[in-house]
Amino acid sequence: MATADLSVPKGWRRYIPIADWGIAGREALAGYLFMAPALAGLIGFTALPIIASLVLIFLNYDLLTPPTWASGSNIGRLFGDPRLLIVYRNTVQLVAGATFLNNVLGLLLAVGLNRSMPWILRYLLRTSIFFPVLTTTASLAVVWRFLLTQDRGVVNFLLGQIGIDPVPWLSSSRWALLSATIYDVWKSCGFLMVIYLAGLQGIPTVYYEAARIDGAGRLQQFRNVTLPLISPTAFFAIVISLIGAFQIFDNVWVLTSGGPGDASRTITMYIYEKAFRGFEMGYASAVSFTLFTVLITLTLLQFWVARRWVHYE
Amino acid sequence: MAATLSNNEKPAPVRQREGHSPWHYLRESVLWVLLVGIALIEIAPLTWMFSTSLRDPKNSFDLPPDFWPTAFHWQNYLTVITSPDIQFLLFFWNSLKIALIVTAAQLLTCSMAGFAFGRLQFRGRDFLFGLFLASLMVPATVTLIPSFILIKEMELINTHWALILPSITSAFGVFLLRQHFKSLPEELINAAKIDGATYFRTYWQILLPLTGPALSALGIFTFLGSWNNFVGPLLFLRDWDLYTFPIAIATLRGYMGSGNQSEVLAGIMISIFPILVFFLFAQRWIVQGASITGMKG
Repeated sequence: MATADLSVPKGWRRYIPIADWGIAGREALAGYLFMAPALAGLIGFTALPIIASLVLIFLNYDLLTPPTWASGSNIGRLFGDPRLLIVYRNTVQLVAGATFLNNVLGLLLAVGLNRSMPWILRYLLRTSIFFPVLTTTASLAVVWRFLLTQDRGVVNFLLGQIGIDPVPWLSSSRWALLSATIYDVWKSCGFLMVIYLAGLQGIPTVYYEAARIDGAGRLQQFRNVTLPLISPTAFFAIVISLIGAFQIFDNVWVLTSGGPGDASRTITMYIYEKAFRGFEMGYASAVSFTLFTVLITLTLLQFWVARRWVHYE
Repeated sequence: MAATLSNNEKPAPVRQREGHSPWHYLRESVLWVLLVGIALIEIAPLTWMFSTSLRDPKNSFDLPPDFWPTAFHWQNYLTVITSPDIQFLLFFWNSLKIALIVTAAQLLTCSMAGFAFGRLQFRGRDFLFGLFLASLMVPATVTLIPSFILIKEMELINTHWALILPSITSAFGVFLLRQHFKSLPEELINAAKIDGATYFRTYWQILLPLTGPALSALGIFTFLGSWNNFVGPLLFLRDWDLYTFPIAIATLRGYMGSGNQSEVLAGIMISIFPILVFFLFAQRWIVQGASITGMKG
């Protein structure tokens, strides 16, 4: 491809690709045309909205009357909003619980499924564990709402069989967030399992054979062969499950509607409420920007920490 | 790979030694209990939903719960489908229509951009691709409010376009397909060039058929994402007859109150049934797709 550049003209004309510039020009034209639809989508529905939301932070806008200048008042409000603190605390609890459980269970299930067993058993186990991933979050949350009902719910009935008193899963501020966590883990640990399974199957068997010859037991093999070699997968899985958990919305929307009070309201629900119930577009944008900052910081932090624990071959 | 080990080293004695350890049995049984136990927990709510959706509505809340159908009250399904208040077939059609359009659009735009970024030389290519990569870091929640204002200014609120337009492309799909186009052998493209194939022909007839696994993975997950989308319809749709499944079901629960669990569950069964059938037939590709999209993301 080094020769292609020779046919590009000098001066300002080289910035405008036209067909008569020969192969390189035509290739460039084709390149621009081929990516044009995707670029239009990116600009229209990601790039412009980000810029717009940066501007919105400094405006008061209720969708009906023309926006007015708010200067820094929306940012100032962030620091005096007690509810913001509550929803962030809820979100962090939910994210921490769900990310931890999803990844630990996902890895354990993958290790369990990755051993030799009759294919029909493997098929049944994998199908059962993975299927919830494909179902609709909102609809299955409706099912779980029925299951978790305090009085006639199935979960409390089963707990009653082993002598545990009914738990107010959805109506108590102590349990609501935990119920949302349980639902999320039920819904998504199969996805993490599949990702870890692909990672496990990518580990060449020679490493295990070498470890066995050196006399390593199963647990030692797991710690010294599996864990280091699965670490790039684990890193990726943790990053995406963390970002996903921060944006949990339909789960709590259907299960508890954020209640009781604000006990299970997450940051995305709060943004939705401020923007589309209260019509405070400026303040809602400011809140959503705090989320953006948190996510970017966390992701970069993870990349930085990853240098210490992720081993690439 | 295994062949590189000397054939004289027989792993059998090592395996035997493992078999004798009591810890080995303990670990194995813990792992098995975990595996089977979790599989049961994962599947039980679904079998419960199916069994309860077949109960007589009068007994729908009765305990003990059934995890396997005991009654066969198919009437519930008919009630949900034919009820004049809840136009279930219409929701089905709305969901399907939007999901199909979005999937087709994404497969086209993402593969075209993937071809351009992975296979063509042009000025600013790496910078533009960097933009796509950077946008992967942007959470959907952040663009929600300005997107809503944009859709409102375009006067597309309460139309299906409001759900289709923002999803005609995805940075993730562009990234996934670019990696795949890049991994195809150079000889193919050179041969096409020598034969005088146009860029479009090289893309459409030579390279695209070879990106099958990546395309099907992207297609499956785009379709599911659209089928399961909840925030979009909640935000953009006002009229009942434009509703898609997830939003209709969430509303249905409130609308029907708590007296009709069986019929609500029958409605949910209908909404996940196409996915269930699809999954049973295409499980290999779906699981493979999840790991492809997972690994390369």
